[in-house]
Amino acid sequence: MQSESARAASAAEARFRIDAPNSQPRSIKVIALDHPSEAIVKRLATSVWGNTSFLTTLASAPPRDAPFSMRGWLADLAGHTKILVDEIEHADLVVMIATAGENIESASIIGEACSLKRVMTTGLVVTAPSVPGAELSRSLAQLRPWALMLVVASAEDYIADMLMALRA
Amino acid sequence: MLKKEQSDLLTLTGPGTAGGRLFRCYWLPALLSSELPENDCPPVRVKLLSERLLAFRDSEGRLGLIDEFCAHRGVSLWFGRNEEGGLRCPYHGWKYDRTGQCIEVPSEPVESGFCNKIKLKSYPLVERGGVLWTYMGPADKQPPLPEWEFAQVPPEQSFMSKRIQESNWLQAMEGGIDSSHVSFLHRGDLNSDPLFRGAKANQYNLKDSRPVFEVVESPGGLFIGARRNAESGNYYWRITQWVMPSFTMIPPRGDHPVHGHFWIPIDDDNCWTWSFDYHPTRALSPGEVAAMRDGKGIHVKYEPGTFRPLANKDNDYLIDRAAQKAGRTFSGVEGIAMQDASLQESMGPIVDRTKENLVSTDNGIIMARHRLLRSVKALMDKDQAPPGVDSVHQLVRSAAVILPPDKPFIEAAKDALVVRAGTAHASV
Ligand code: FES
Ligand SMILES: [Fe+2]
Repeated sequence: MQSESARAASAAEARFRIDAPNSQPRSIKVIALDHPSEAIVKRLATSVWGNTSFLTTLASAPPRDAPFSMRGWLADLAGHTKILVDEIEHADLVVMIATAGENIESASIIGEACSLKRVMTTGLVVTAPSVPGAELSRSLAQLRPWALMLVVASAEDYIADMLMALRA
Repeated sequence: MLKKEQSDLLTLTGPGTAGGRLFRCYWLPALLSSELPENDCPPVRVKLLSERLLAFRDSEGRLGLIDEFCAHRGVSLWFGRNEEGGLRCPYHGWKYDRTGQCIEVPSEPVESGFCNKIKLKSYPLVERGGVLWTYMGPADKQPPLPEWEFAQVPPEQSFMSKRIQESNWLQAMEGGIDSSHVSFLHRGDLNSDPLFRGAKANQYNLKDSRPVFEVVESPGGLFIGARRNAESGNYYWRITQWVMPSFTMIPPRGDHPVHGHFWIPIDDDNCWTWSFDYHPTRALSPGEVAAMRDGKGIHVKYEPGTFRPLANKDNDYLIDRAAQKAGRTFSGVEGIAMQDASLQESMGPIVDRTKENLVSTDNGIIMARHRLLRSVKALMDKDQAPPGVDSVHQLVRSAAVILPPDKPFIEAAKDALVVRAGTAHASV
């Protein structure tokens, strides 16, 4: 007689897999940390996504001498200021996009907020092969303390594939 | 999640498919050398990329890999007589050389030259490092021979095994780069398996079961780094190599041999899992070889006379619920290899990737699919050779290293990630 496992793993049995959704939409925030990444995020945002929002840290970074505040670090792609803590409060995942060689000091602010709110983070660095190792290292060092998953991709098209894979 | 069309592009590897064309760019392990031990030995049936083939070693020791079936009336040449420089069909005596060229049709006058008109499809078969390799792509695109280090070291430093896995190659390969399963599925084996235990670094694994991952594109595929805390603020890094399409190398432990796999499609529902173990600078000890033969580490015990694992789906993988309950094994299945294979086979012949819910820690898998799909597209649209064909991409090593916190592993461990002949692998 055929064993349970042999029968269950057959192609014929695969037809009887329950065809019902096994997850609910997740909330993902994709945040550009620098200028070139903002352009990438803007391109991404033109596709249709589920419960995913695209943000940038750039437009609204407060002047260096202003007193520190969690406000005013984040903006949507139209340039409207967003409140960081409110934005990430109910997120399932925050994806920080950086370009190797760019200054990404806002990573620590966002990372700190995510770790406070216990939100999963992924750091994604896009790097051209021509970018010197030292510059990539600097970007990685800035992201590393805050990203529970760090990805170094050679081209931006990975980001769309990754978001799709994560059901964004 | 992956769309059905994308999954099909990678999982289907028969003739005429996109995924099949990808695999037909590479030298692939086809048989163990020991399967054709001497001249004129019995031929061996080989199915690869959904093609039924027959391998034989002729009277002069030349190797051939040809269409399994006689061009006359289609009987399997597995029944053939391997003698006098060729393989003779037992039905009506047609004879073929190792290139598949028919060299005798007894019913026809020799002078007619009729046999010149008959030729079976054949592929090159070459021996390297105890493995017979084949290349199934167009002849004008044949790449240089494979340069993997395990196949280059002296034979006493290397051990190779293969087993049938009853699932599509992709879900098996994805298991090889699925770094986050190790802390669960294999947690019982670190301290007990003779091919792992005793390494100093095992304590980092056991103390810190939630590593942080870094996935970095490499020229031939991917580096997958798993970072754990070590002493005095340093990090313990385990860096896995994945080279396209389906080579993986697992980070070493202590002075144990280093190991890894190839996953090679037999057809769309089955694949060969090849498992190598080698040490770059010393012979394997008799104890190590005995353990490997006994199915320890990443190897398996077999059903006698076959390459089918002794624990297989027909005996429910000999699952031991008492061992599972007692925590001796996490899944109840014994041995690392069958812990992986049992679960990958349980997904069904080709897992339905439209139903999966991947998370951030699956970025290694997501990136591997992304690179495979990108390469298939470049191959189909621009006839561009994929990564991993170039032998430079094959001269890689996995590594286990301790690094200061501000150093990215790709920089700090640069030397450790490539083959340096005569130097041991970087391991803690
Ligand atoms: S927990 Fe990963 S497959 Fe079930
Ligand atoms: Fe495993």
